[in-house]
Amino acid sequence: MVSHSAIILLLIPVLAVFLLGIESAFAQESTEQYILRRVEIWALFYRLMVVAFVIGAVVMGSIAYVVWRFRESHPKNRGDITPAKTGGAHQ
Amino acid sequence: VGHATIEWVYVGVVIAILVYVGADAWNIERLLEETPENAEVIKVTGAQWLWTFEYEDGTKSIGELRLTKDKPYRFEVTSVDVNHAFNIPDFTVLIDAIPGRINTISLVPDQSGEYLIQCREYCGFSHYQMRAKLIVEEPSGGEGGANVTNAAVEVPSKGATAIAS
Repeated sequence: MVSHSAIILLLIPVLAVFLLGIESAFAQESTEQYILRRVEIWALFYRLMVVAFVIGAVVMGSIAYVVWRFRESHPKNRGDITPAKTGGAHQ
Repeated sequence: VGHATIEWVYVGVVIAILVYVGADAWNIERLLEETPENAEVIKVTGAQWLWTFEYEDGTKSIGELRLTKDKPYRFEVTSVDVNHAFNIPDFTVLIDAIPGRINTISLVPDQSGEYLIQCREYCGFSHYQMRAKLIVEEPSGGEGGANVTNAAVEVPSKGATAIAS
């Protein structure tokens, strides 16, 4: 289990990213005299597509790493079938 | 770095991304809901299978909508029979036309030319023909309808009649 101090320390970067997300979202006020639907909607679409593809790349990369690292023929997986000390649970 | 730490970082990043996506979309939606105070109100009525437009001066037209470039408009959209949807693809305008209800959406056309207006909710046999022509003209002194910058859209001129009320 994670200690309280570790959680508090982790909260700092998490909150920082959280606040940055909100700030960058609201920093996109248009300087035009009028809001142009066409411009705003397509800009939003492209921003969210970038987010979607980045997440997709990270997920696919993680899957590729796990498949590669935990394959039976990986050198670190050969000859050792002893279960972990904790039975697989986190320490 | 233990596994638990990685998991907490992962959870934090996921939450941050979700917050960004939600806040960004909500903010743009909020901006688009604001209608400029000097917007001209145009009453848009859908009927099987044509669009009627009523301007602020009481003038009506069927199948043809004339707007001025860089001028704000607010559409008050309704229907007299079944559900329709008022759609101007080139200006990302899309809103349902529902009998007994008035839905509003605003637009500032920033490009002159001729554009397609199309019903986007299946409304019966001739739904696919329920189109109208949007003509965005240059402000006074411009070349008007002749200054077409996007003529790629084919819009039927049938039924484009002006009615003075």
